[in-house]
Amino acid sequence: MARIQTLQRQPLSTPSGPIGLIASLASFWRRRDLLWHMTVRHLRGQYKQSILGYAWAFVNPLSQMIILSFVFSTIVRVPSGDVPFPLFFFVGLVPWMFFANALASGTDSVVNASSLVTKVYFPREVLPTAAVLTKLVDLFFGIVILAALMVYYGDPPSVTAFWFPLLFLVQLVFTLGLTLPLAALNLYFHDVRFLVGVALTLWFYLTPIIYPIDIVPHRYLWVFDINPNSLFINAYRRVILHGEAPEPGKILLGAVIAIGTFVIGYYLFKKMEKGFADSV
Amino acid sequence: MFDAPEVEFRNVTKRFALAEGKTLREFVPAFLRGRGFTNEFCALEDVSFSIDRGETVGIIGRNGSGKSTALKLIAGVMAPSSGTVLVAGRISPLIELGAGFHPDLTGRENVNLNATILGMSAREIAGQFDAIVDFAELHDFIDTPVKRYSSGMYMRLGFAVAVHSSPDILLVDEVLSVGDAFFQEKCLAKMHEFKEQGVTIVVVSHSPDLIAKFCDRAIWLDHGRLQAEGPSRSVVEQYNHMLPHLIEVV
Repeated sequence: MARIQTLQRQPLSTPSGPIGLIASLASFWRRRDLLWHMTVRHLRGQYKQSILGYAWAFVNPLSQMIILSFVFSTIVRVPSGDVPFPLFFFVGLVPWMFFANALASGTDSVVNASSLVTKVYFPREVLPTAAVLTKLVDLFFGIVILAALMVYYGDPPSVTAFWFPLLFLVQLVFTLGLTLPLAALNLYFHDVRFLVGVALTLWFYLTPIIYPIDIVPHRYLWVFDINPNSLFINAYRRVILHGEAPEPGKILLGAVIAIGTFVIGYYLFKKMEKGFADSV
Repeated sequence: MFDAPEVEFRNVTKRFALAEGKTLREFVPAFLRGRGFTNEFCALEDVSFSIDRGETVGIIGRNGSGKSTALKLIAGVMAPSSGTVLVAGRISPLIELGAGFHPDLTGRENVNLNATILGMSAREIAGQFDAIVDFAELHDFIDTPVKRYSSGMYMRLGFAVAVHSSPDILLVDEVLSVGDAFFQEKCLAKMHEFKEQGVTIVVVSHSPDLIAKFCDRAIWLDHGRLQAEGPSRSVVEQYNHMLPHLIEVV
């Protein structure tokens, strides 16, 4: 009897409806060991043959923090309230860099693995997910620098900083949800990677990273309310720097956007997955 | 023995778009003019066959006859344009070995990665690891990054992982042309071993002799259509007989 059941497996079938989507997610979960191996493969490959190795994960955020802090606190003088500007800026920059790097590397992940995609079947969402998870290491290094910075400025994080993992989980779901369809589309149209590059530059300036949300004119605030990254970064500043719990309404909005993005993104990915080997 | 088919093609058609819009600049105007993908190439047309558990089946045909497409449909990396492909069991594709290898990782790391891709659990890999290294004869190089491997070593490791993944279905695409004569001999011996164990084997080859010798049954594809199917010797005979005529026509 068991044989009959397994016979009906048809590779690469598009999930139909919510049940199909959950079944796809379940088979993805069963291959979590593959996800782990792929993530390690990315990581090991990333800084191999470089003298500084993983230290490069420090260099990039550190250099940006120093130069942009200088420009926007000494030359342009952006107000950062009672928090030192480098600290204010870095709390926004670290999660932004995670988002931007994860999205950029995730978008390329399926194209880069095209030789694998045409030969053996495995849930393809492993590729972009592994690319996104790889960037957690950079995020960790960023947090280490942030902690050092807080010690340096004598401004230890508040207890409310314990909200951070939960908030970050929401951001992670959002990032994945956006990366999945872009990774699939990039296989069909190589323009997507360039589009992502342009979009990330614009998005950086439309997110309160180098400036506080308070100085944004009222009539433009709606832009920041529908920008999930703005919601996340404002929440990080609240819980880490100001010792305030996140605003429930905004968190709920962020979570709804994140989960919605993920469900739609995952569905689109599975729908496009069928044609991957044809278009490589 | 189970008589349920392990692989089944029901009226399978596979089309590819030839003039593909690779950039938006090409795609958008074509799309607006009404579906850009007009130039289609039919790699398989209304093909139906089934392969039973434990059978060794060869697919023959000239270049562009749809052999490799059929294999990719079985491997599950492609979906049919219409029709149904049903597959049961764990597949191990011996198609361009070592495709998943990362050049910067060592042989050991790549074995773990590749075996996981093929669906082996960590415990299975640990249990098979020594056998894999033995088979590939790479004891001294297993902790060397595979980019330092010769192409022969690379293939050997790829083959070793694939054959140790305890597949139900083995897909073989011209791989026997890799490696030196000694290693080819070893691969053939391993395939015979699989055959005796009742593993379903699907072989794609240009060489009718190999298929006549090794396979029970053969499927002959020509221009994406099923030309003949039956005991391998008789199909190969027909194929060899028809081949000169086919060449004249082309």
